[in-house]
Formats: sequence, C-alpha cells, structure tokens
Amino acid sequence: MTELIDRPPLADRPPSPTAELLRVRELGVAFGERTVVRGVDFALAPGESLGIVGESGSGKSTTALALLRMLPAGGRITGGAVELDGQDLAGLPEEALRAVRGRRIAMIFQDPMSSLNPVLSVGRQLDEALRAHGGHRAKAERASRAVELLELVGVPKAASRLGDFPHQFSGGQRQRIMIALALAHDAQVLVADEPTTALDPTVQRQILRLLARINRERGTALVVISHDLGVIAETCSRLLVMRDGEVVEQGATARLLTVPQHAYTRSLLAAVPRLDAPSRAAGNSTPGAEPLLVVRGLAKAYGPRRRRSPALESVDLDLHPGETLGLVGESGSGKSTLARALVGAHAPDAGSISFAGRPLDGRRARREIQMVFQDPYASLNPRLTVGRIIAEPLIAHKVGDRAQRQARVAELLEQVGLEASAAARSPREFSGGQRQRIGIARALAPRPSVLVCDEPVSALDVSIQAQVIDLLARLQRELGLAVLFIAHDLAVVRQVSHRIAVLHRGRIVESGPADRVVTAPEHPYTAELLAAVPSLPTPTSGSLT
Amino acid sequence: MTTISFPLAAGSRSRNRYVAGLRTWRGVTGLVLVGTVALAGLLAPWLTDADPDAQGPQALAAPSGDHPLGTDDIGRDLLSRVLHGILTDLSIILTAVPAGALIGAALALLAGTSRAADLVVQRLFDLVLSFPGLILGLAVTAILGPGRWPVVIIIALAEVPYFGRQLRAGVLVQREREYALAARVGGAGRARVLLRHVLPNAVDPLIVQGAVALSVGVFIEGALSFLGLGVRPPEPTLGSLISGSVAYLDTDPVLAAAPLAVTTALVLGFTLLAEALNRGARS
Repeated sequence: MTELIDRPPLADRPPSPTAELLRVRELGVAFGERTVVRGVDFALAPGESLGIVGESGSGKSTTALALLRMLPAGGRITGGAVELDGQDLAGLPEEALRAVRGRRIAMIFQDPMSSLNPVLSVGRQLDEALRAHGGHRAKAERASRAVELLELVGVPKAASRLGDFPHQFSGGQRQRIMIALALAHDAQVLVADEPTTALDPTVQRQILRLLARINRERGTALVVISHDLGVIAETCSRLLVMRDGEVVEQGATARLLTVPQHAYTRSLLAAVPRLDAPSRAAGNSTPGAEPLLVVRGLAKAYGPRRRRSPALESVDLDLHPGETLGLVGESGSGKSTLARALVGAHAPDAGSISFAGRPLDGRRARREIQMVFQDPYASLNPRLTVGRIIAEPLIAHKVGDRAQRQARVAELLEQVGLEASAAARSPREFSGGQRQRIGIARALAPRPSVLVCDEPVSALDVSIQAQVIDLLARLQRELGLAVLFIAHDLAVVRQVSHRIAVLHRGRIVESGPADRVVTAPEHPYTAELLAAVPSLPTPTSGSLT
Repeated sequence: MTTISFPLAAGSRSRNRYVAGLRTWRGVTGLVLVGTVALAGLLAPWLTDADPDAQGPQALAAPSGDHPLGTDDIGRDLLSRVLHGILTDLSIILTAVPAGALIGAALALLAGTSRAADLVVQRLFDLVLSFPGLILGLAVTAILGPGRWPVVIIIALAEVPYFGRQLRAGVLVQREREYALAARVGGAGRARVLLRHVLPNAVDPLIVQGAVALSVGVFIEGALSFLGLGVRPPEPTLGSLISGSVAYLDTDPVLAAAPLAVTTALVLGFTLLAEALNRGARS
C-alpha cells in the first residue's frame, strides 16, 4: 500500500531551489516579556526525519507550534524565519497560512483521547479533513479515500469502521486515526508533538513503526518532538537537543547518541535509565526473610452491579521489609487499583491483606502504609503551606503537639533534601521534582514501614527522575523501608527493584528477581513488554563522563 | 545530601485574580454604583432631617428646598423615603443572601458525604427550583403573613439551590483530585478531608454566585413589595416606593423615577460586579 494516495499537483509552486524543504532561521518566540525560544536554526530535507528532544521548559513544543504559528494565546514569534520551499511562513498573513496548515505541514498531538471530536464519526472527521482545502470531490470518492487513509495507518477492517465514533477505538487506534487525518492532504512535513507519550509501550512501538514506515515509503518529512531519547532514536535519523529555548547540539542520531559533544547531551544520556543496566537495589538494603505485607487473592471490580468490569482478578503478593518490589503493567492492568487497595482507600471485593502476620485494618494501614503519588501538581493541596501539607498526617494521627510537629516537619524536609524554610511556602512555588520531594516527606511523616509509590517519577524529566530515584534509594537505606514501586518504565523498575512482578489484566503473571525477569522472562507477556522498550545505542566508553 | 533552593514566587494567585477582575471597567463601574447607593443609604440619617414616615401638610409637592425630591401622595418626604428604603433593602439582602449561601453550602457538603444524602439534597434543590419564584413567595407569605422576615426567608430560600448546586459541583470535582486521596491515605477522616481539603478549593465560584444573588435579592424584594407581600407599610422599601408611585405615573413621574433609578443602579452594579469577578476568575 505504498502509493495509495496521489501526490498533489506541483504546478502551483516553483520547484525548490535547494534540497531544503523546511528551513528555520534564528527563530525566536516569546510569551509576553519572557523569551522561551531563541536562535533556533535547523533545516529539513524532503523525506528526512528530525527528532527534537529536551526536558520540560526547553521550548521544544513551542518550536514545533511556531512552525505553523499555532502558538497558544500570548505567544508570538519575535524574530527569525520559517521557510517552506523558500517562502517565509512567519510573515505570512493568517489566511495564506491556513492554506499551508494541514495541506503542506500537518501536525499530530500528544493526547489521542482528546484530539478527536467525540460526537462525530471517524468517517465524518476524515471527510471534513478531505474537504478542508476546497478540493471538490464526489462524496463516494472522498469516502473511498477515507478508507484508503485508514488502511494506510493500519486500522483493521477500515471500510466497516467509518461510521464508528472515537470512543469505539483504543488509544493506539485513535492515534492512528489522528495520523490518517494528518495525511489527508499528503503533507510534505508531518510534525508529531510527543505522539506516543500517552500510550503504553507496546502500542508506542506500533505507532513509532507506523511513523517510520510513512517516512520511508511515502517520503513525508518527519519532525518528532519527544522527551524520550529512546523514541527519537527509533524513528529519526537526525537529532536536535534543546535546553532553555536554545539548541545545544544537533547531528546524526547515531553519532550524537554514541559520541555526544555537548556536556548537556552527555548528562541527559547519562540520566536515562537503561534496560541493560543491572539492578542496584541490592546495594541499598537486604530484604528481611519474613514477609511484612502478604496479599492473597485480592480482587476488585468497578462499574454498575450488572456489568462489573474487573480491575483486579486475583492478586498474590509478598513484600519483605527493606525490599523494593517493582510492579509493572500497562494502563488498565490494575496497578493503581492495587495501590489504592493497599493503602485502604478502596475496600477490595475479595481476598486478604495481612501486615506483619495480622490482618490489616484501616486504621493501621493508614499509619504503616503510606503512598507517593504520580502527579506532583495534583497531589498537593494548593491552599495549604508545605509545612501544613506534611503535618497533615501527623495531625490526623494525633502525633505530638504543635511544636513537636513543626520540628518533625523540618526534619522531614531536610531528609528529602529541601530547606527547612520551605515549610512556610506554598507548593506552587516549587518545581515538579521539588514537589515530589514534598510528597515523599508527607508520606514519611507518620513513620510508615511500607511506601507505595504509584508511578512516582513518570511525570518528571529524566535528570529529575534520577534525583528522586536516588532519594528513594537513600531513604530505603536509612529507614529500612519496604517499597512497592509501581511504574510502566521497565528500565527504571529494574534499576530500583530487588524483585519485579508483572501485572497483566488484573493478575500477576510473573514475578522474580529483577535481573532475571528482565534478562530471562518466563511469561510471553513479559517478553512482549521488554521487546517494546525503545532501545538507545550504547555510548562509546568514556563519552559519558 | 543535596539541598535545593527555590525561586521566589507570587503569593496567593487565585485571590489576586478576583482583585484583577475588579480592576476592569466593569468592576470599577459596579463598585462605584453599589458603593454610591450603599453610602447614600447608610448616611440617610445625616443626609436628610425629614422623618421618612412623618406626614406633612403638602401631598404630591414639587421638588423644593424643604423636600429636594418633593413629597408623596400623603405628604411624606420622598428623598428621605428613598434613602431609608435603600437601608431597608440592603439590610434585607445582606441577611438573606449570606443565610442562603450558608444553608446551600451546608447542604452541598452534606451531599458530599454519601450517595444517599446526595440524592436527598439534590431532590430538595429540585423541589425549590421547580416553584416559580412568585409562587414560592406567595406560599411563604400565606403561611407567615407579609413582613420583613418573610421577605428575608423567601430570598434566602430562593438562593439556597443555586449556592448548593454550585458548591456541590466543585466538591465533586475536588474530591477526586489526588490531594484529597492523599489526605485520606494520610489518615484524615471523611469530615476532615471534606472541610479541610475539599471545601477551601471548591468555594471560590461562590464569590461570583454571591454577587449574582445580591442583584436577584433586590429584584425579589421589589417584586414582593410591589405585590404588597413585602415589608409592611409605612416602613419604606424600594419596591413599595415603586408600587406606591404607579398610580401617579402620568402626573408625578418623579415619584417613580427616584426609586427606579436607585433600584436600577443597585441591580446593575451587582450584576457588573458578578461579571467582573467571573471574568477575573476565568482569566
């Protein structure tokens, strides 16, 4: 299905004088007074693939949006040029720019769940995209092209699914449909802003392969923006590293990842957890022999009484004192339900949880088992000061008087690497990584023996991620905590865990020593998960110092 | 151990947004209108010597030195009656609206405790809302008779469901946020989570609702007094002044114009304030 779609006629524009399709010169973008992108310079040849990586706030998404001048309110291009075939898009009137959007440069976004209109059928949305640039075609012809597009992006039984609505498709399929919409006018450049961040690793691999195939077979130039170096390494031949709105380094992906020149690229690469690195958990603590937390046959279902959908089928789990148990699984596997059942936020439907040999009751669970949350922004009450947030569990458990609690808060803040003066401030004054430290301090406040960490680092940049992981390791060493580390990133999980358990459709399908599960998986699902992890080329020795 | 320092940042942002909303032309106009009317009402005893209820020898007199706005049909000073009417109106709405807000908020919190309570509270709101305002007013005055307190009760009752629904929606959203779960995991009880964590984050929209309710309150008082169901004469209210002036609309228009202008300024002012606060919150 390589040439299903005919190229648009080239007659209305002169042939490009150079081999460059897209040329960005000294691009600058500001929001109000704040400059967020400055002096970005790159070129894209027809059929090329370029990856832009950077941490949050590096200006990578802003750069992508500025290409089509689709900046959010308050943003404006302050200088430079975006030349498409020699024509400067940055200076083009809005009307003329609309003819470029979707037709010559198309975009796909991060969240396939909200990028499609939920009340229109997929066929209708494709039809609208096909009509968008005034091409007058018969209805039947448009419908057949819609089917071709869906087939191109690999939606099975495309012809029979045109009448279906977005909610009838899975997340991965929705992202495929987004790509089909973007390809409706056979654009020369496809800009993908974090195209797989919201997707599970196995689905992510399929989408990346699809993008690479479109790039290879149809000659569509690709710009992929991602925070994940692995994603870029799999799809793009050239790589551009951004930090604080500036390009720090660019070059061929293979060379840049193996012999990085710039110190920042080196530190970025060094911070990325690698799947082939052995577990470091043994250096933190030696797990006790008797299990501290024993879970047997835990089950939980959600939904109306007649149509319950099970989140946990039957989960058996042991957690030893001083041990880190990594729990991996894709979205919908029941990870978060398990975490919430353990901390007593949900009552399970069946099964038992015992703590130190005795059945766990709610009161004790809330003291001995504490939780660290995924989202460092949503998990701290914006109306309270940091000190108050950390003291809340102490107040709830009636620990100490006011002065003692204050002292304990100061001690906790120091323990997680923040200044004691942070107590008087509001959480919104802190960055994501610092907020996650506050969340950890709160969890430690009632002196728990088990810490349940639900995706504690997945919302953080890699360098911050490494700091938080180090913090958790140090706390385990000092306090002998048992940690249930829930995550979808296998490389991180291997690094921090003594043992790994794999959760699939509400059941533990495999568990064992971390290194063994990663190197010699026993269950086919584990093997599938491992194969889906995007791999990074190994840097040459000495380049990551 | 690494110690991380942090940048200084602005203080309470959400409150500032409301203040910023008030600094727009809408907010300023609203403040000026409401402020002028309220000040005139509060300073009534000093602005005029005339007793609002004292009957003079001259009925329906034209504006003069003694009576800047003239007199009404039984010779009472109109200026004094309007100024004291403002005072009555303000005292009614400023008791009724906070009472309605408190009852509505309490019911909304009750609804947040369990599914059964939620069902009961919701139907209660529906019940009040299903009555047209005037029927509700007639029903209450039929039981309690006309007077000041029945008006307060009617206004409060009419506002309860609006405050209640608004807060309930906020509570439902905030309750599912991770920080509320974090508080529960930390050992906080149901009531503590609701009052300490959820409520302060859900209460903001009620500020806007409050400004809307004040303007509606002026309206309701006017309508009830106009129908003779409001505050008992001779005590002046804006509504009863308009009501009493209707018979003389073609001969003495000033009799209707003065209370109408004040009522309009008050309703317009509160509406502008509500809109300014709302826009501020959204920006």
